[in-house]
Amino acid sequence: MSWFQKAIIIVLFLTLNLSLWAGEEPYAVSKIPAELLKNADVVKRMEDIRFELVDIGKARHYVKYAITVLNEKGDEHASFEAYYDKLQSIESIEGTLYDANGKKVRSLKKSDLRDLSGTGGSSLMVDTRIKSHNFYCRLYPYTVEYEIEYRYNYTMFFPGWTPVEDYNYSVEQSRITVVCPADYVLRYKTLNYQGQPLIQAEKSNKSYTWEVKNIVAIENEYATPPFSELTSVLYLGPSAFKVEDYEGNMSSWQDFGKFVYALKQGRDELPDNIKQKVHELADPMMDPRDKIRVLYKFLQNNTRYISIQLGIGGWQPYDAKYVATKGYGDCKALANYMYSLLKEAGIKSYYTLAKAGDFRTDFISDFPSSQFNHVILCAPLQQDTVWLECTSQNLQAGYLSGFTSDRPVLLIDENGGILVRTPKYGLNENLQVRRIKATVDNSGLLSADINTTYKGIQQDDIFDRIHILAKDKLMEYLKKEIDLPQYDVSNFSYTEQKDRIPSIDENIEITAINYAAITGRRLFLTPNIISKSYYKPNPDETRKYPIQIRYEFQDLDSTEIKIPAGYVPETLPPELKLESKFGKYTESVKFLSDKIVYYRKMERYSGKFPATDYPELVKFYNQIYKADRSKIVLVKNE
Amino acid sequence: MVLINRIKIFNITMKPRTLILAAVLMMTSQNYLFSQDKLNIKFGKISAADFDLSKYQIDSGANAVVIADIGSSYFEGNSKGWFSLVHKKQTRVKILNKNGFDAADVYVILYYDKDSREDISNLKAVTYNLENGNVVSTPLEKKSVFQDKLDRNHIAVKFTLPAIKEGSLIEYTYTVRSEFYFNLQPWSFQGKYPVLWSEYEVSIPSIFDFVFLSQGFQKFDISETSNRANNYMIRESGGTGASSAFTFSSNDGIHRWVMKNVPALKEESFTSTIRNHIDKVEFQLATVMIPQQAPEDYLGNWTKLSEKLMKDEDFGESLDKDNNWMNDDVKIILQGASNDLEKMYRIYAWVRDHFTCTDHSARYLSNPLKTVFKNKNGNVADINLLLTAMLRHENLQAYPVILSTRHNGYAHPVYPLINRYNYVICQVVADNRNYYLDATDPDLGFGHLPSDCYNGQARVITPTLAAAVDFIPDSITESKVTSVFLFKEKSPGELSGKFSSTLGYYESLNLRDKVKEKGEQQYFKDLAATNSELELSNIKLDSLKIPEIPIQESYEFKMKNEGEVAYLNPMMGEGYKENWFKAVDRLYPVEMPYTIDETFIFSMEIPEGYEVEEIPKSARVSMTEGKGLFEYLIAKDDQNIRLRSRLQLKKATFSRDDYQELREFFSYVVKKHQEQIVLKKKK
Repeated sequence: MSWFQKAIIIVLFLTLNLSLWAGEEPYAVSKIPAELLKNADVVKRMEDIRFELVDIGKARHYVKYAITVLNEKGDEHASFEAYYDKLQSIESIEGTLYDANGKKVRSLKKSDLRDLSGTGGSSLMVDTRIKSHNFYCRLYPYTVEYEIEYRYNYTMFFPGWTPVEDYNYSVEQSRITVVCPADYVLRYKTLNYQGQPLIQAEKSNKSYTWEVKNIVAIENEYATPPFSELTSVLYLGPSAFKVEDYEGNMSSWQDFGKFVYALKQGRDELPDNIKQKVHELADPMMDPRDKIRVLYKFLQNNTRYISIQLGIGGWQPYDAKYVATKGYGDCKALANYMYSLLKEAGIKSYYTLAKAGDFRTDFISDFPSSQFNHVILCAPLQQDTVWLECTSQNLQAGYLSGFTSDRPVLLIDENGGILVRTPKYGLNENLQVRRIKATVDNSGLLSADINTTYKGIQQDDIFDRIHILAKDKLMEYLKKEIDLPQYDVSNFSYTEQKDRIPSIDENIEITAINYAAITGRRLFLTPNIISKSYYKPNPDETRKYPIQIRYEFQDLDSTEIKIPAGYVPETLPPELKLESKFGKYTESVKFLSDKIVYYRKMERYSGKFPATDYPELVKFYNQIYKADRSKIVLVKNE
Repeated sequence: MVLINRIKIFNITMKPRTLILAAVLMMTSQNYLFSQDKLNIKFGKISAADFDLSKYQIDSGANAVVIADIGSSYFEGNSKGWFSLVHKKQTRVKILNKNGFDAADVYVILYYDKDSREDISNLKAVTYNLENGNVVSTPLEKKSVFQDKLDRNHIAVKFTLPAIKEGSLIEYTYTVRSEFYFNLQPWSFQGKYPVLWSEYEVSIPSIFDFVFLSQGFQKFDISETSNRANNYMIRESGGTGASSAFTFSSNDGIHRWVMKNVPALKEESFTSTIRNHIDKVEFQLATVMIPQQAPEDYLGNWTKLSEKLMKDEDFGESLDKDNNWMNDDVKIILQGASNDLEKMYRIYAWVRDHFTCTDHSARYLSNPLKTVFKNKNGNVADINLLLTAMLRHENLQAYPVILSTRHNGYAHPVYPLINRYNYVICQVVADNRNYYLDATDPDLGFGHLPSDCYNGQARVITPTLAAAVDFIPDSITESKVTSVFLFKEKSPGELSGKFSSTLGYYESLNLRDKVKEKGEQQYFKDLAATNSELELSNIKLDSLKIPEIPIQESYEFKMKNEGEVAYLNPMMGEGYKENWFKAVDRLYPVEMPYTIDETFIFSMEIPEGYEVEEIPKSARVSMTEGKGLFEYLIAKDDQNIRLRSRLQLKKATFSRDDYQELREFFSYVVKKHQEQIVLKKKK
């Protein structure tokens, strides 16, 4: 060996040693690339997920991740929670806390793990339990590392992969590997991911790997599309899968529908007394629409929503007999019960899976997978389709509210599943029409008779309120919640119009002392009494993401305010007409001998708009905000 | 059976007999208002007539009505050589409408620890519906009763009744046995739904003496006491499987309370907690008198309690140990600290900045101090006792202080009822001055307490004394001074302004929290956006990072008037826009967290090209007995307009009788704060 070769070896040795030394503290904050610190509260340093499909009914899931928390706002990501139940067990949990230099501070001890019930407020009993842990570090920055291994005794869900988990959250490195038998059809879909997975053979298995590095943090903006559309996401789904004794295939919506059908098959048998009741109620009706209406009423009067989720009960409905005797069930059980009632009456309906939530738009139509959290019922009639929300004791047949309207849902029958869209309630359905007749006296006291019709989505909240609160509680509510400085309600009434799109007529009589401010000879008055828009977006020069407005509506106001004798206008707001991509707005104030006539019309459009439209949105809403608060000044001539 | 707080036993020998007598006398002196003194209700005996409640006057807002809620507690001998408590409950409810369905969901919380667990038995529940005049009953199935382990000490037994409809009657009954014999169950006569008849009976063997405490607005319809001879069989198994048994003869004291037609609880704003107002009875074990032995005092007095607490390993025991595990860290914390006050401050700030409080309601350590120190988290007792220990480690004069927070309700003014306390802070003495410290809130400054602590009497725990110290809301004032100056610019109608406000201490706390959540930059952006017509500049928050003092917020701005007439509210957006007391009626006293003193100063130069047309009138209003004062003093000359508005509420608590006056007072403030200055263009 020449001296030269020796030197090289020595140099190599030295550098190796150095890198080893530096590698001892991989979580040192100094190692985070500068661009990942920008706008970030949290940096995911590494993530390694491995999902192994052992056979059609079993899987192993291993996750290791480390995140550096840079400030207090990032603390929420430092807490750890893992769920387990009859179908999914936790094999091991490990955790370590590191300081800013990447030096280990302490490790998780078994006794520090909390074991909690997973039953939330909306369920009576759920068999899921939670292991939770937190290092409660307050010395920023710090790093937590967790490692967990699960065993699954079912394969209906494959884990997803969302490297960026929140706003202000950057990622240094994150990887997921899925291993399954070589002949197994793994289904996947990526969004905002460049390239294809790395596919390798592992003995008799095949592995798929996706990886991302150095993703900068994103900031939250108003009215963005769902988070999943803003960042890299991988959806995974089984082809063949198994839950307890049920096998299925998720390759198509039709196949998945077959599995769901199998779970509920044979669960529609009604007790004799209920069958009798069905005929008693439905047989005299000729129109199937009327049959549905009376049976839905029967459902509403005899059942209530109680959620009990145990094992496969998370997906399989309790049978119709159970609901008939107990008088309760969850969405699955109640929808299946209603299905059974309709079937007995000779009406075909579809058990229908939905991704519920007010105005949700994050359903992935082209990737069959178990994305649903709710079940409703769909009864197609010759001319129309009747949709039924079976967990409500109050809704009228056919109306879905913002909770499930305007989105794809999966109809189930013996042939499997098909995706259809629930109805959308639009500009002409979501109405608020208000007429006010009011008087202002010499002391500034306002007496107003306010008549408002709310329709479609705009009546959803009021509908709930008038069904939940008794009359005197409603009065209490109205006396507290109207946005006026000080007022009293003397009378009110609500009338429901049970049309295809439901509406509610509201009448409120109020008096508001000092509504008009009087200073010397002048009287100041805001003609928009209770129809103000509260939205006032901040200008943002760096808007990055498209704007998504999720529903549309229309408000119409006409107000007459009688004013005390002797006052004449000094200042009236000018007529305002706005038109933009986001809607229309008109406001006008007129003075007619002894009264003010105020007119307002606002239309808001829904849809997706490019980020470059943001300044227009800000301008539109800020003009409305200001106009809604503009004052009239009247002066008394002496 | 909710054992919210762990019960501690104190072997105290003093006997405050007179106090107990007084308490019992108070309870028995109630008069009999109704002739009916027994309720004829038997489980399972329901007739069609029982569905008809038309003879009762029921609040029209009720969704369900409790027809009968009957409970009893008694003792029985157990096989562990002592007594167990048995609590029975039977409830009958009528569900009036769909919103009353919740009354059919029943939760019973059982307590357990490593030695013993409470158990439930004889659980029965039935729903009755009236169908075509016939009573149809649907019983609860056993398998529909769930047991849900909530945490290391609590299990929830849960069920919901079947076949619930509008108009259903439901009935359930159960028995809970508990070896926690000192925990005689309290009884609430009032709840979410109105109650027609609520009854509780306790039978206490003569060996035990309990203090009875009652609270609430309504009087008992029946409150009676009697005696009954009774024998208790107590067994005890020896180590080798042998067991011994003995009988204990007692003259049981039997107490029975009935309350009829109790309205549902009503929540109101500005109440520190509804718990202070529920009609209920509670109990505290005072003495155990085993025959032929000296009576054992469990109630004791404050001195004894203090002594016990300081010896308790879950409270004060470790405060005076040498705790040398903290030596190294304390040394670093105190490096260069020259005097006691600085040492106190350093230790306080260190604990505050390094620990996370996971539970703001606790009075005992959940872990040894050393573990708390290592894990950097704990409940309020863990953290503030650690703080006390660290201060003592430096030979500083520090003591734990126990109190009951506003959310927890009033502590008992006389009895040393430790269960009523839910919070621990620290008192430290320097230069003959007392400082009260709470290191559980990262935004709190040295010597400041959260407003939730101001709830009356607290107790400083020392080995020999439990000195009372008052923390009353009336003693703290949230004062705020805001000034706005407007200067005329050269161009007509244009004004430049300076805004500056020194916030109250608690408002500063909230703002610190908000800024932490949003970030300072975002806060500034939002502030500028809300005042978009003013073109804000130079926005500053002073003392944001100094939690000891209030925040000063300031900015500059520009405004312009161009019209023939210009209007300006001199309160500049800082006025009261809304009456805090919108509700017309009031049931409970108004309890605010502090008194208020807010001053607003406004001074403006009349802009170029304009003259004053009109200004609001000055006014001064005060509430009776000086409870509140409002001044609105405005003046003008050729060049300037000046305003001074001051709002003072000199009391934090207002009785129900004061409510109308308070409401009108605020209404006047809101009215004045709306008034405008009118300027006119010079001709």
